[in-house]
Amino acid sequence: METTRVLIVDDEKDFLDLFMKRMVRRNLDVHAVTSGPEALEYLAANEVDVVVLDVKMPGMDGIETLREIKKRHPHLEVIMLTGHGSVDSGLKGMSLGAYDYVMKPFTIDDLLERIQKARERVDINRGKAR
Amino acid sequence: MQGDQPNTHVPTWLAWVLPLAVPIAAVLAGPWTATVAALAASAAAFSVVFALGRALERARDRAVSIQDQLIQSQKMASIGQLASGIAHEVNTPLMVIGQDVELLEMVLAAGNMPEKMHAEAESCLEGIRRQVDRCGEITHKLLGFARKSDTVAQRIDANALVEDMVMLVEREAKRQGIVMQREYGQVPEVDTDPPLLRQIILNLLNNAAQAVGRDGVVRVSTRNASGRLEIAVQDTGPGIEPEVMDRLFDPFFTTKPPGQGTGLGLSTSLYIANRLGGTITAANAPNGGALFTVRLPLDAAAPAAAKAA
Amino acid sequence: MPTPIKVLVVDDEDEFRNNMVKLLHMQDNIEAEGAESGEVAVTMAGEREYDVILLDVKMPGLTAMGTMERLKEMNCPAEVVILTGHASVDDAVQLMNLGAYDYMLKPCSTRDIVKKIAWAVENKVVS
Repeated sequence: METTRVLIVDDEKDFLDLFMKRMVRRNLDVHAVTSGPEALEYLAANEVDVVVLDVKMPGMDGIETLREIKKRHPHLEVIMLTGHGSVDSGLKGMSLGAYDYVMKPFTIDDLLERIQKARERVDINRGKAR
Repeated sequence: MQGDQPNTHVPTWLAWVLPLAVPIAAVLAGPWTATVAALAASAAAFSVVFALGRALERARDRAVSIQDQLIQSQKMASIGQLASGIAHEVNTPLMVIGQDVELLEMVLAAGNMPEKMHAEAESCLEGIRRQVDRCGEITHKLLGFARKSDTVAQRIDANALVEDMVMLVEREAKRQGIVMQREYGQVPEVDTDPPLLRQIILNLLNNAAQAVGRDGVVRVSTRNASGRLEIAVQDTGPGIEPEVMDRLFDPFFTTKPPGQGTGLGLSTSLYIANRLGGTITAANAPNGGALFTVRLPLDAAAPAAAKAA
Repeated sequence: MPTPIKVLVVDDEDEFRNNMVKLLHMQDNIEAEGAESGEVAVTMAGEREYDVILLDVKMPGLTAMGTMERLKEMNCPAEVVILTGHASVDDAVQLMNLGAYDYMLKPCSTRDIVKKIAWAVENKVVS
């Protein structure tokens, strides 16, 4: 199975740096952006399997970004990430099609497992589309 | 109904053997033994028929309640279609009303109305705009509700999935003094659509926490109930009133005050459960709170009857 | 003085279209016109250069898809924003794949539409 391509979207640069370092070591193809609009731009031009998306961002927030991603790339799976764990955004995200909802802090292994599960589903989605 | 065999206490073979036992006993033994044997046989036959009868009744009740759920899910599917058709049609007139309000506001701004009348007119227009927004939210939710994408089965650890949702709710619930209790049983990996199942569990947990309000308990348990995954959410809230019981899963039914909550949560959850080949039932718990139970097949391939809806 | 953004509103519902044109035209930097069908829109796009085309999903005659295909054939540089009363994800994706800039669900405020128009124009300048 080819390497899973992940796009991480989070406005906190420190978190992104940490995330990138640990993920790259685990043989994932990871790209990071710091905002919703950047994410949409990247996805328009690049193939990605799983998006890891922070719920709370200034400007276009996680839920809006999720909506836009699902509009344009319905076969992608999105894992919502949150430092605040709001049930409302969980419910909203799930109903908009998010694959999973993870609270910070999390262990890298835990997140990796979830990314793999999401990747599994993306493969099924893509298989069906053909 | 697939998989629903009457649960007899007495094996059926006995019902066949017993009548034969009487003549055999009569032949083998003396007249006295024959009488006893005959009486014993009658008693046994009686209890077999009785047990069969009771078992059939139970099976019929279960069949009726599963039938109800199937009807409910078929109702939901056609309600979903009707609702999305209506929502679609209504969205354009709503838009036009909103536009007319905007134009009126401009006319008002340009005009020379006395202060008080102006303020009055402004407030009315504001009111219309608010209601248009409210209608828009309802239609958007309806359209979301009717959106049907295929379910995708994946093997998952149900306890872990449930625990994820419990932890999410726990963060907020703790602040209200609500305690989340877990009782995870030995449950094998289940074949189901994980994000859809998450939606159901999150909805039930959220409802439970809201029912409790402050200082109470929400108990989540899982178990393997004769080859089906059972997830139960119980709370120490006020419970479900009998008049409300029948309408609980109806779309738009809500016990919350107007404007708060659309009442689509439970109906959506039931709809999802049916699509996953399972059911959700509601009851009042012995302690007075509510108890919601989700039952799902362990293997997504199993009951196809519900999936057809 | 920046050149006004030229917008074409395509929708068979007269009241909606006329209101939309009126409201957009009232904005400082927007000039708006209306077309009551896909066919008329294609004709008008052939004669004038529009920056943004607001296109309704459900129209009799030439459909939104059909209209977009024709516009593509003409190499029409306008950014298309789909406006619809109905949220079919499949429609959205299809139209995005044909090159629509974005997709908006009715009812939406004029303010949101103007914002979207502004973003579409920015997008156009960059590409």
